[in-house]
Amino acid sequence: MGGVPNEASSREGLFSFLSRRRFLKVSLVAGGAVLGVGGGGLLALRGRAPNVDGLRVLDAHEYRTLQSLVEVMLPKTDAIPIDAASMDLPREFDDFLADEPEQNVRDLQKALVLIEFGPLVFDKKLTTFSRLDVAERTAHWNEWALSENLLRRQVSIATRKFFNLVYFDQEEVWPYIGYPGPSMKRAQGVMP
Amino acid sequence: MAVHWLPRAVHETRAGGHAVTGGITDLSKQPPPEAITTEICIIGSGCGGATAAHLLAEAGHEVVVLEEGRDLVGSERTQRDGPMYDQLFMDRGGRASHDLSVSVLQGRVLGGGGVVNTCDVVPIPEGVLHHWATKYGLEDFAPVRFKRFTDDALGDLSASRIPESMVNPANNKLRQGAEGLGLRGEVMMHNRVGCRGLGTCMIGCPVHAKRNPRMVALPKAVEAGARIFTRARAVKIGKASQEFKEITVRTLDPRGYHEQSELRVRAKIVIVAANAIASAQLLLRSGVGNSHVGRNLTLQPQLPIIGIFNERIAAFDGIPQSYAVTEFEEEDNAEFGLWGYRIEGIMGTPGIVSSLLPFSGAAGMEGMAQYDRMAASLLLAPDAPSGQVEVARDGRLTIRYDQRADHQERLRHAAEMAARVYLEAGAREVLLPTTPPLVIRSAREAKRAQELSFAPATAPMVSAHQQGTVRFAASERDGGADLNGQVYGTREVYVFDSSGYPTSAASHTMTPIIASSRMLTTKLLTRI
Repeated sequence: MGGVPNEASSREGLFSFLSRRRFLKVSLVAGGAVLGVGGGGLLALRGRAPNVDGLRVLDAHEYRTLQSLVEVMLPKTDAIPIDAASMDLPREFDDFLADEPEQNVRDLQKALVLIEFGPLVFDKKLTTFSRLDVAERTAHWNEWALSENLLRRQVSIATRKFFNLVYFDQEEVWPYIGYPGPSMKRAQGVMP
Repeated sequence: MAVHWLPRAVHETRAGGHAVTGGITDLSKQPPPEAITTEICIIGSGCGGATAAHLLAEAGHEVVVLEEGRDLVGSERTQRDGPMYDQLFMDRGGRASHDLSVSVLQGRVLGGGGVVNTCDVVPIPEGVLHHWATKYGLEDFAPVRFKRFTDDALGDLSASRIPESMVNPANNKLRQGAEGLGLRGEVMMHNRVGCRGLGTCMIGCPVHAKRNPRMVALPKAVEAGARIFTRARAVKIGKASQEFKEITVRTLDPRGYHEQSELRVRAKIVIVAANAIASAQLLLRSGVGNSHVGRNLTLQPQLPIIGIFNERIAAFDGIPQSYAVTEFEEEDNAEFGLWGYRIEGIMGTPGIVSSLLPFSGAAGMEGMAQYDRMAASLLLAPDAPSGQVEVARDGRLTIRYDQRADHQERLRHAAEMAARVYLEAGAREVLLPTTPPLVIRSAREAKRAQELSFAPATAPMVSAHQQGTVRFAASERDGGADLNGQVYGTREVYVFDSSGYPTSAASHTMTPIIASSRMLTTKLLTRI
């Protein structure tokens, strides 16, 4: 039996289903599309991401992928006219990751690569997730949840779990869902 | 109700070791001693561990309790999803089965699962006790012998029936529908005293109305001299066959994210009570026990279903779980003991509810806009012991769990019945939050629940009652621990939690674990 594990492996993360082996498998399945473009081509396809100050774990490209994702996952609607993009949820995710074991961070970064190159890998389109317009991106992202591919469904669930939980825990959202806030604060007259 | 503040331990340094008086020491806030020597070390402070600590300390034994979580009390329990799932649950609330089909909720706080449950008091049914005694040879669980331990557990919990006046509108919708269809149900038993109906039982009660291990057994244990160390993660049990075991403990930072330093606890007796997942994980990491360790896991996965009404229900206020439809529950199934299914009212705070909904984008926003008109239930179907806890060479945990066809079949039936119940109670529509979502608007459409595929990661199942993994058995051939709870192949390393159960004990595990820990501790006290 093995000895004492190091910290990096002692906790399970939201994206632990993305083992290296499975990621490689998906990459190989999609290999035709990826190889057709080539490594340099992939970088060109992704383009430059705007610089973002103060990130602890994510790089600018990863941040942009998450911001693009949040925009279609939690859009401003008539029912809830709160702009998730203004909440800077990717930064919350960055803060979350900063305290996760390295292995979990690596798993998440794999998921972000898959999402960003999803249009190429799964739809054979010569573009990336962040470059799709909102309507195309929304349609593409909806396919993840309904996909026959288990890995895509898993990435969809894991991201939804995190961002929904954080978004609907924001006080400004509550009036639109009929939630008056934590009952203790209400009892103390702190909340509306 | 006043919080039972646990006294901080007063430290004294002694040659060759470190001694403290009874009390609590948060190892994230002070340098740990290099080593602690004690007679009994208990790993885990939940229902099993706290009960054992209480009884052993009161009997005059020297007890140390190790808990990975911290003592989060009073106003620190903010009723907010983000910080509470982060601080009160394993893996910051993100733990799941290997393919993400089942979210695994496991407490990580002083007091364990009793701090984050919905207070349901359900003893092990007589049919299950009889099943265990006859089929598995667990004679101490025979109904007549086990009764006194259940009675004592009910006393620990100040168990009572939830008053009618505290059944909230959402649970009353469930009852109204069930009664309309002529289905048997009941207002549930609970362990609340002085409940103010604050509604956030699952993420900690800010007024400490739960008579849980944190409020009952642990204060008594401390009063009797037990030493509790929080932010103390046990990572290995060494020398398991020797007189003195050596437990490697890593201290954590104040928020429990990172390991800081290491210490050793030397103990003659080690009681592992860290939950069926973590207890097996620790034994496997340590190379302790036989090939049964980690096997026979039951997750008892539950599937949410939501009735959406035209009027405001405000299910987030009041006791979230107070009524259960029990018509289809079997307590004496010949093969599995507990079987069938229950439909139990439930509600959560916005973050957790939204995380279970299958929608994204505008549809998701529209779905959550109906939050205050929702009345939800969990479909609870006991499962056969078929899962497994695995620990990879690098230490990574995998909870391998493939849902069996019989479990899917019962959940489909449960979903159909629950849909009928909510429609009978006047729901505009009933949502099964699967991917794709299934919306049922008439009793005729309820049969569509039979279409649920349960393909991996399409139904948001939740597990709150993990059991099995170190099955009690009279012979090493049949289980991981003997009838005293001693792990086979060790000298006085025990499991005193739900790890030992051969099949699902009950629809809720707090009372069973306290009762069985009482029984096992009482037996241990006759030998030491």
